[in-house]
Amino acid sequence: MEFIKQFFFSFICTIGFAIFFSIPKNSILKSGITGAIGWVIYIQITNIFSSTILGIFCGALTVGILGEMLARNSKKPATVFIIPGIVPLVPGSGMYYTMLAITEKRFNDAANIGTETIFIAVAIAMGIIISSSLSKSIKRVKNKS
Amino acid sequence: MVDNLENEKKETKELLSLAILAGSIMLKNGAETYRVEDTVNRICKSRKKTKYVESFVTPTGIFVSLEYGNEIMTYVQRIKTIKIDLNKIDMINNFSRKFAESDLSIEEGINELKKIDKITGYENTIKILWGSLAAGFFSLLFGANLWDFMASFMVTIFVLIFTTKLCKFNITFFISNFCGAAIASALSILLVKIGLGENVDKIIIGAIMPLVPGVAITNAIRDTMSGDFISGLSRGMEAIVIALSIAFGVGLVLKIYFKGVI
Repeated sequence: MEFIKQFFFSFICTIGFAIFFSIPKNSILKSGITGAIGWVIYIQITNIFSSTILGIFCGALTVGILGEMLARNSKKPATVFIIPGIVPLVPGSGMYYTMLAITEKRFNDAANIGTETIFIAVAIAMGIIISSSLSKSIKRVKNKS
Repeated sequence: MVDNLENEKKETKELLSLAILAGSIMLKNGAETYRVEDTVNRICKSRKKTKYVESFVTPTGIFVSLEYGNEIMTYVQRIKTIKIDLNKIDMINNFSRKFAESDLSIEEGINELKKIDKITGYENTIKILWGSLAAGFFSLLFGANLWDFMASFMVTIFVLIFTTKLCKFNITFFISNFCGAAIASALSILLVKIGLGENVDKIIIGAIMPLVPGVAITNAIRDTMSGDFISGLSRGMEAIVIALSIAFGVGLVLKIYFKGVI
């Protein structure tokens, strides 16, 4: 039950942001599913290994791979699916808490939350970069043969 | 003979301005810098007369140099506003492929680009409604209850209407984010006082979600990792300043609240 609930919440969340970013109409559902699958994988991995960073990385990697596959399928740039897809994972609240801690002179908290925020951003970026370079090398191999 | 050369030179100039137009529309709507560089290069190389093209794109400007005959032309375009509009990125991407493969004349190309630039996409009300719905579900993801969801949804509608109104007056992003965050936290406190919603912090986190620069910080790291250090730095700076403005807005209201004024 918890599983379905999380899937549904993140699905609506991704679709909402996709429309907020004015996505092409025929890609709304696809981007929503991408984001929801990424979020569910993040939750599962975080529960199993109790590591947020690993969970975020696996979620972002899933979003990246799904995005590249959908992009090839529907002949659109992969960004169209990846940007809304990573929105639930993205450390927006972390950025805000870091800056709030700095304005309130709680520098220890700022360092703690800030490092985690940056690591989460690095994990997402790594997931996306790995998937996009994988898709590029697959394209190159296919073109050669 | 001389006339012919003059014509070709003029054509190359127009090709360069077309490429810059396409690149600037893409960059204004939040495309990655490497994609803009690819597009500009692809358009410039699509006509055989150009020998050499090099473009350098940062989130704040495009620089393109193009060698034709024994002359070098350079074009600099400054970009100011950056928002995210995935539809336009997709359309320009398709256009550049079509332009490179077909014999579309440059004038027609420029007309088509201007048409793409004018497309408005979804209505503002639809965007605001879905953005607020997303914000409400964000609070649910963070563990809020149903009342918090309602509160966060309503607060975000107000915040988004306010920030889109401010955008029309060309107010700098720092001020509009600051005001948006301040309004978000003030309204959240008000709603909790009335009795709609229980957890102020979760409502506030949901409501400022459309403003926080999560995507910007991720893109910054991504640019830096792929070797575009200047783009990475400038996007990272943008993210930090936006986060700072939101923290100022929320912090100010919370401070007044805890002093017991409201």
